[in-house]
Amino acid sequence: MPSNGIDILKILEDKLQNKPVQIVPGTLGTAAIITKSGSHRDVFQILVDADEKTAVVSITGIDLGENLGVYYHVRTSNALLTIQIEVPKANPTLASVNDITPSAAFHELEVTDLIGAVFEGNPSSGHFVLPDTWPEGVYPLRKDVNACEVKLDPPAAEEKSDDGKLVKIVIGPQHPALLEPEKFVVLVEGETVREVRPRIGYVHRGIEKASESRTYLQDVYLVERICGICNSCHACAFVESVEKILKLEVPPRAKYLRTIILELNRLHSHLLTLGHAGLEIGYETLFQYFWRDREPIMDITEILTGNRVISSSMTVGGVRRDLKETDIPKVKAVLSGLKKRLPFYVKVYREEPTIGLRMQKVGTLKRENALKLGVVGPVARGSGVDIDVRKDAPYEAYGEIPFKVITYDAGDTWARMNVRMDEVEESINIIEYALDHLPEGPFRVRAPRVVPAGEVVNRVEAPRGELFYYVKSNGTAFPDRVKVRTPTFANIPAFLTTAVGEPLADVPPNFVSLDPCFSCTDR
Amino acid sequence: MTNLAMWARLKSPWVIHFNSGACNGCDIEVVALLTPRYDVERFGIKLEPSPRHADVLLVTGSVTKQCADRLKRIYDQMPQPKFVVAIGACACSGGVFQGTYGTLGGVDKVLPVNAYIPGCPPRPEAIIDGVVKLLNALAAPPAPPKASEEEAATEAPAEEVTEVPAETAPDAPEEVKKDAE
Repeated sequence: MPSNGIDILKILEDKLQNKPVQIVPGTLGTAAIITKSGSHRDVFQILVDADEKTAVVSITGIDLGENLGVYYHVRTSNALLTIQIEVPKANPTLASVNDITPSAAFHELEVTDLIGAVFEGNPSSGHFVLPDTWPEGVYPLRKDVNACEVKLDPPAAEEKSDDGKLVKIVIGPQHPALLEPEKFVVLVEGETVREVRPRIGYVHRGIEKASESRTYLQDVYLVERICGICNSCHACAFVESVEKILKLEVPPRAKYLRTIILELNRLHSHLLTLGHAGLEIGYETLFQYFWRDREPIMDITEILTGNRVISSSMTVGGVRRDLKETDIPKVKAVLSGLKKRLPFYVKVYREEPTIGLRMQKVGTLKRENALKLGVVGPVARGSGVDIDVRKDAPYEAYGEIPFKVITYDAGDTWARMNVRMDEVEESINIIEYALDHLPEGPFRVRAPRVVPAGEVVNRVEAPRGELFYYVKSNGTAFPDRVKVRTPTFANIPAFLTTAVGEPLADVPPNFVSLDPCFSCTDR
Repeated sequence: MTNLAMWARLKSPWVIHFNSGACNGCDIEVVALLTPRYDVERFGIKLEPSPRHADVLLVTGSVTKQCADRLKRIYDQMPQPKFVVAIGACACSGGVFQGTYGTLGGVDKVLPVNAYIPGCPPRPEAIIDGVVKLLNALAAPPAPPKASEEEAATEAPAEEVTEVPAETAPDAPEEVKKDAE
C-alpha cells in the first residue's frame, strides 16, 4: 500500500469525537463509518479537506426491511471507506454530498431511481436509468417489489423544448458512431458545444436484482455478461468478493492464471479502443491494423480459456481450466509477435500529425477536475492522477509482478490514448513475467455452495478503470445484494464537462477516449 | 426488374447492426467481421449506418424495455423486403437475462426473425455462416418479396446455425438459462 503519510482513520477519530459517528476498522474496506444522516456531511468535509484523492466510488442502496441503507463507498489515496447511513423507508430522505464532492452526483441519482432514497440538494429530473415511462414509486431494488410485472406504456412523443439560440443535436440511441444504444443530446451554438445531456439506461437489464435470485455460481456467469469486453474482470471481482466472505485462499497457480486472463482482457480491450479511436477520426486504416493484431490475442484467450470473448474461466476457488505446459510457447510466440509490431503503433500515436491534430488539446481534463469528478483508469492517469488498483491495493498476483503505472500530464484525448498505448506493452510484460514464474500446484480448490452471512467490498482494475463490487450474503446459497459500479459510470461526468466549449467535430474523439461501455454503465 | 433487385440483394446485402441490450460480446464479434481476418466484404456484405439503406437487420442482445420501441422504429424505417437476423443467445431467447425486469426476452418478441444464430457470443465464422445461409434460402425460391419474408420466418428453425464448436460453448450459461426458465 503506497503511503503518503495520511492516516485517514486517525484524522477522522480526532475530529469526530463528539459526533454520532462510529468507526469500525477492518470491515467493508479499510473501515466502516456508521453515522446518521446529516453527520455524514461532516465526515465528507473532513475527508475532502484531508486528502485530495477523496472521491465517491459508489453508493449502494440496500433494502434492510424497515429501513433503507445508503452506503457511500469512498476512496482516498490509501484507503477505501464505507460510510453507512440508515434512513426510514417511510421518509427516505438524506442530505446530498454533491456540493462537497461532485463525484457523488451520478451515484445519488442512480440510487434515487432504483431504490427510492431521496437526496436533498441533488434533485432528479425524471428517470435516470429506468425507462421514461416507468411508473413513479416502483423501485425495482426493493425486496417487496416485483419489477418483472411492470408493463410499460408506449413512450410519448418527444416534447419540443425551446433552448433559445441553441440547436439540439440528438446522438443516439441508434447512431453510426455509437456501437451501443445510448442517447446524448448535444446543444450547440454555431459549431460550439454548450451543453451535453446524457440519457443512459437503454441497456439496463436489471442484473443487480437478477443476481439475488440466482446462486453464487450462476451469478459468476451472469455478472460476466454485464460487459462482454471486460468480462473476466467482472467475474474476477465477483468471485474474489465471494472468496473474501468464505475466507477461502486461492492456490498460487490460480492467482497467476487469473492475472494472465485479466491482462489478456486488458490487451484486447485497449487494442480495440485504440483502433476504434482511429475510426472516429476517419483514420480507418489504423482501425483495421489494430483489429488485425487483436485477433491473435483472441486466439490465445481461446487457448487459455476455451472461449474467444466471454471467457467463463473464473470460478469461486480458482479457475476452471489449467494452462497446458505445451501451450505456453504458443502464447509467448503471439505476444512477442505483437511486441514487434508495437513500436510502429507507438510511433503512430506519438508522432502522426493526423492523430496530433485531432487529439491534442481536445477534451482537456485538468488534474484538479479529474480529482474532483472522481474519474478512474486511463482517464485519470491521462490527467496525471496515479491511481491504479493493481498498485494501490494489489489483488491476485499483481503484488508479486513488477510493472509501471503509466501517467501522462496533458489530460487531453491524446494523453488518454497514449496511456492505453503504453499499457499494452506493460500488459505484455506482465503476462510474460507471469508465464515465466507460473507456480506449480492445483488451479482450483473446492468451494462450498452456501456462503456464510457477511458483506464485503472489492475492487479490481478493469481495462477502463477501477471496477467496484459490493456483495452481501445472508447465509444462504443466494446473495442478498450485489452492487456493481463500473468504470464508465464514473467517467461519463468527465465527458459532459470537457465537451463543453469545444467544436462539435471534437465530440467523437473526446468521447471515444473514455472508452465508453454502456452495457457496463447500465447493467 | 425484380430479378435484378434480387440479384443485387444477394450479391451485396447491406446490413445494419443494432444492439438492443447486449453485453458487447456479440457486438465486437460483429465488428470483427469487418476486419481483415474475417472480412465479410468479400461476400459483398456492407455495414450500413442508416436503416433506410439496409436490407438485413442484425440484432444483438435481449430486447430491453427501453430499446423495444426504438428497435421497432428502426425495423419500420427499413425498406421492403427486409430480413432480421438474431445474433447470440440473448437475441434468440433472452439468454442469461431471461426473467430480469429490464428485458422483454428475445428479438422475436418484437420483430419477425428470419434467422437465429446461437452462441454466447457466436464465433464470427458462425455469424458469416448464418448470414450466408439466409442468403441461400432467399436465392432458392424466387417468390415475391412479401411471401419470401413470411416463408423465411416460418422456416427459421431449419436455418438455425448449430455449428458452434462444443468446446467454445460454455456449459455453465446453460445451467443459468435452465434456472431462469
